[in-house]
Amino acid sequence: MAGRFRPLALITVTTGLLLATGCGGASLGTGDDNNRSGPVKIGLLVPRSGTYKALGDEMKQGFELYVREYGGRLGGREVQIVVADEGETADSGKAAAEKLVKQDRVLAVGGVVSSATVNGVKDLFESSKIPLVGSNASPTTLTGTKYIWRTSYVNDEPGKALGAHVAERAGGPVFLIAAGYQAGKDEIEGFKSTFLPAGGTIAGEEVYTPFPGTKNFQPYLSRIQNSGARAVFCFYAGGAAVDFVKQYRDFGLAGKIPLYAPGFLTEGGVLGGQGDAAEGIRTALNYSADLDNPANRRFAPAYRAAHGTDPTTYAMASWDAAQVLDKAIGAAGGTVTSETVNAALATVGDIDSPRGTWRFNSGGTPIQPWYLREVRQGANTVAGDLGRLGG
Amino acid sequence: MAGWLDGHLVGVVDGIAFGLLLFTIAVGLSLVFGMMDVLNLAHGTLYLAGAYTAYALSDGTLPGLLLALAAGALVGALGGAVLTLLTQPLARRGHLDQAVLTLGITFIVADLFAAAFGGEVLPTDPPTPLRGTVDLLGHTYPTYRLVFIAVAACLAVLVHLLFERSSLGALVRATVADRDMVRAQGVDIRKVLYGVFALGAALATVGGVLGAPILGPGPGVDESVLVLSLVVVVVGGLGSVRGALAGALLVGQVQTLGVALLPQYAPFLLFGTMLLVLVVRPHGLVPSAVRT
Repeated sequence: MAGRFRPLALITVTTGLLLATGCGGASLGTGDDNNRSGPVKIGLLVPRSGTYKALGDEMKQGFELYVREYGGRLGGREVQIVVADEGETADSGKAAAEKLVKQDRVLAVGGVVSSATVNGVKDLFESSKIPLVGSNASPTTLTGTKYIWRTSYVNDEPGKALGAHVAERAGGPVFLIAAGYQAGKDEIEGFKSTFLPAGGTIAGEEVYTPFPGTKNFQPYLSRIQNSGARAVFCFYAGGAAVDFVKQYRDFGLAGKIPLYAPGFLTEGGVLGGQGDAAEGIRTALNYSADLDNPANRRFAPAYRAAHGTDPTTYAMASWDAAQVLDKAIGAAGGTVTSETVNAALATVGDIDSPRGTWRFNSGGTPIQPWYLREVRQGANTVAGDLGRLGG
Repeated sequence: MAGWLDGHLVGVVDGIAFGLLLFTIAVGLSLVFGMMDVLNLAHGTLYLAGAYTAYALSDGTLPGLLLALAAGALVGALGGAVLTLLTQPLARRGHLDQAVLTLGITFIVADLFAAAFGGEVLPTDPPTPLRGTVDLLGHTYPTYRLVFIAVAACLAVLVHLLFERSSLGALVRATVADRDMVRAQGVDIRKVLYGVFALGAALATVGGVLGAPILGPGPGVDESVLVLSLVVVVVGGLGSVRGALAGALLVGQVQTLGVALLPQYAPFLLFGTMLLVLVVRPHGLVPSAVRT
């Protein structure tokens, strides 16, 4: 008897689940409603919870600010933004991406904080032919894609941008230290790829600190002091960036051995946590809130007025993601579909950005200017030019 | 030898500071588990509560720190009492039920902390007079960490005297050895239980207030503190103050000097040490004389 009821129970449960999650009939009749004159739906895949929520907030704010500043329209079409929670893991990010693609049927998607999420959703966007205009995560391994664009940079580029400059200025061996996970290794490799050819020498061995879990950096700071290094290149972000910078000051290294790093070391919320310990740290990034150009004179004050803080590279790249979608949807003209927008993304050309002018390379990442920044009076300030990368 | 010590002096001193921090946290876990037989996996959460208290009340002055210490001790004592209340019904059901319950509490409280203080690390600065560095035989060392060593050493001596030399300590040890006999003397066993739990918890929160400038409050700190405390308890031996101190000082040195000497093995040093100690002394360095 039980065997006869099992299929029935299965169907009931499945139907119930479908109804509960909204996957059922409700969206069946709508079809692709982006291809008319009404509003277009753009998905934003950013963390709304968990460790990366602060980054997700910055990205959402940057994207929404652009849309608001330009009358709620992208490419002349009214925009409806659908936000989905990326969460902390590749799994939660993938589930949210599938909801945007399959249930909300968005025209295009922006966002994505974590490299693990990007790798996890790559096939989904490629096979459903919906463009993902990412504004943060960009692992070095992400190549050969047709529907994935990034307005940020490739992970190893901040290190690459800084290598030759440090080799020139250090006046002796440089100590390399980074958080022991993929991004840390990418940054160190990127740094070495320009630092060693420029004649730089490494003090001792490069050090990877256990990640996560290293809270007390004293043993590593002692090694730096005993190594005879004339400068330090480090990669840390988030809580570890705060701990490292404060202890670098507490153990008396600040002011004696100059500290260089990719910009995340002092970007956004962490800078407040570091307080005056961050003073004088020099970093490489594609953006600084005090850049003086026409686009940034519009962007930075509007962001400050809306959120009370300086915009970060995360907010800026998300503003640009909205901007390239604005251009691409406009260029797609009468037939606005995911595929025509994706084709138009390849031809958007020069983007007039708060970071300076940039354009997409053949891999879908920016060819853009890089800046040397220095923390002065609690803010990142432009201290020099590091040339263009991404070509 | 003199040259070697000079090169690693800062590491040795910092190992003592880190070890004493671990002692103030782990001794409560060790006493509550070893004497009261309650496995409290919410112990890291108590540290975090103390660290957030320090963040909320620190205004850069010494009176601000003292206020945070008083508030932290109160939070800890109350937290300990609540945890006793919650774990008591499970006393007969074994350690697994206690572990599940207290771990659940850590998840709930972690979410509450994240809602109240956000997802970022909130480092706490020491009071202004204790900021800056001192010269340690030609090496730079943070003033606050030296002061911390002095204060934590006093705490260690006090806890030792209380449990091993005072009549109150004798009562606790007698309770552990033979509950029925103590009950027959007309002593309310539950008061002893609440007292030890509240004191152990208060030590963890006080550790959190004092340790905030070293191991600041933020998501995930509760877990790393819990893991380190469990290692200290396993290495040092359950239920003894001297064991907790020995274990904490050893773990402190492994985490500073060991990591400085063998950086490539940093991720494995801690657990390698634990393995080694357990092979040589399965009950830990200084096991409790009462229980084992």
